[in-house]
Amino acid sequence: MRLMKTSESYIFPYVDIVPQLIANSVIAGAIYALIALGFNLIYGTTKFFNLAHGAVAACGAYTVFAILKIFALPVNVVVTCVIGAVVAGSIGYGLDKFVYLPLRKRKASNMVLMVASLGAFTAIQAVIAILFTSQFQALESSGGVSGSVEVYGAIITHTQVVIIACGLAIMAVLGLVAKYTLFGKAVSAIKDDEEVARMVGIDTNKIIGRVFFIGSAIAGVAGILIGFDTGIEPTMGMNLLLKGTIASIIGGVGSLYGGFLGAFVLGFAENFGIWKISGEWKDAIAFVVLIIFLLIRPEGIVKK
Amino acid sequence: MNILETKNLKKSFGGVHAISDLSISFAKGKLTSVIGPNGSGKTTLVNVLTGMHAITGGAVVVGGKSFHAIRPESLPRLGITRTFQDVRLFEQMTVADNIMVALTARGPLAALLERGSADREERVKAVLEKIGLWEKRRELAYNLSYGQRKLVEIGRVLAMDVDIVLLDEPFAGLFKEMVRVIVGIIGELKAAGKTVLLIEHNMELIRELSDHVIVMDAGGLLAKGKPDEVLARRDVIEAYLGE
Repeated sequence: MRLMKTSESYIFPYVDIVPQLIANSVIAGAIYALIALGFNLIYGTTKFFNLAHGAVAACGAYTVFAILKIFALPVNVVVTCVIGAVVAGSIGYGLDKFVYLPLRKRKASNMVLMVASLGAFTAIQAVIAILFTSQFQALESSGGVSGSVEVYGAIITHTQVVIIACGLAIMAVLGLVAKYTLFGKAVSAIKDDEEVARMVGIDTNKIIGRVFFIGSAIAGVAGILIGFDTGIEPTMGMNLLLKGTIASIIGGVGSLYGGFLGAFVLGFAENFGIWKISGEWKDAIAFVVLIIFLLIRPEGIVKK
Repeated sequence: MNILETKNLKKSFGGVHAISDLSISFAKGKLTSVIGPNGSGKTTLVNVLTGMHAITGGAVVVGGKSFHAIRPESLPRLGITRTFQDVRLFEQMTVADNIMVALTARGPLAALLERGSADREERVKAVLEKIGLWEKRRELAYNLSYGQRKLVEIGRVLAMDVDIVLLDEPFAGLFKEMVRVIVGIIGELKAAGKTVLLIEHNMELIRELSDHVIVMDAGGLLAKGKPDEVLARRDVIEAYLGE
């Protein structure tokens, strides 16, 4: 490769784009992390791929859209986001209560649960399209933070700063809850051996219900932040789900830290992968990374 | 007084009758050993008593109250706990957390908000010191030796501090020294007035520890009574040794 000389060192050409690529990678990683954290939290306790997770993320975004744009309610944007997250969490909780829990009680296999979640995904996506049309919508002008900052030559919008901060903060809070609270210990116990967890008195169905609420609320936060960053459409959940799932698999399915790490690995792989090629290749790169991990390290980066 | 009974208990897996019409009882504060050849239904009995297998027919009576179905999560409330033939711990949790989590029967909201209280931590410490694993408290259960894993499972039983303890082959695969440690703990459980159901194959230990012996064969009751009387019976020896 041709090198050019600067006053300081020999560096690669187009070096000015590197800070932006790093910033884009971190932003993408933070978004994927928010999806993967909730996804892994739910997978860890239930051991099935909850495909409805992506659609639940979209529910959070559309709740904010409805409050701020359709009804134009005079509600603070932060409060609106909290409402959006709670609605997403409640939908996740409801799915567990009315779909997955009855199936689990009937000893349904994980494959059946996954198919049920695919049905829920399709239904939720259809309802969103019916209520809000299939058109692409922007949340940006509806009260989100505006403006941008420059960090070592990389331009990062304020919304993206919030995305990164939320990704890190939610990971930190989940880590602390897992390590220091009895709720966290109960979740870990269910992850390890649900039957023994029940035997020592943990009401596993209640704990799993709350895990669905928390995981889905986090997905809702991701959906809302993407809405403010790039916009929303009823099908947005599929892409989020795919990226969150890939991040979870390459990081270590069911592992909180693994999903977080996998998300940033995926973010960097995607953004540096399209350095010299079209951005259209991003999804293809994500799947190449997935296949490489499935072939070489199927258990993910964080091995149990 | 009987604290635990089965009345015409049945458990089938498809067409296979693992337990057939079994009516037995366990006296409060006594250690009753359940013995029998492999496949006689001993572990199935413990699994049914602890709700890990659904009851096919009959009932389980706990403290005078009859149950046709038992939910595992209700066991602490019923005052029952158990160990497993193949040790089952929370592998990715520390030794201390394996004990701590057994102290956490509670509402989910309280669980979300509370941290391990000082009292709870004291109880974890007391249990781990009793089983000699205080030094290993920060070790993942996954990394323990087989004997240490057995001890953690016994520690979980001690931490739950319930009235009825079901021990499924607690001595299997252990060195003599470790066997004596667990014999000592079982002795303390008896002294504390706990009702113990022991599944065991070692006749010496059965004679040493048991107040009563129940012999199962082909899912049914073959004999019951004092250890010396039961173990001397010809039909028991034949069933057990296949003579």
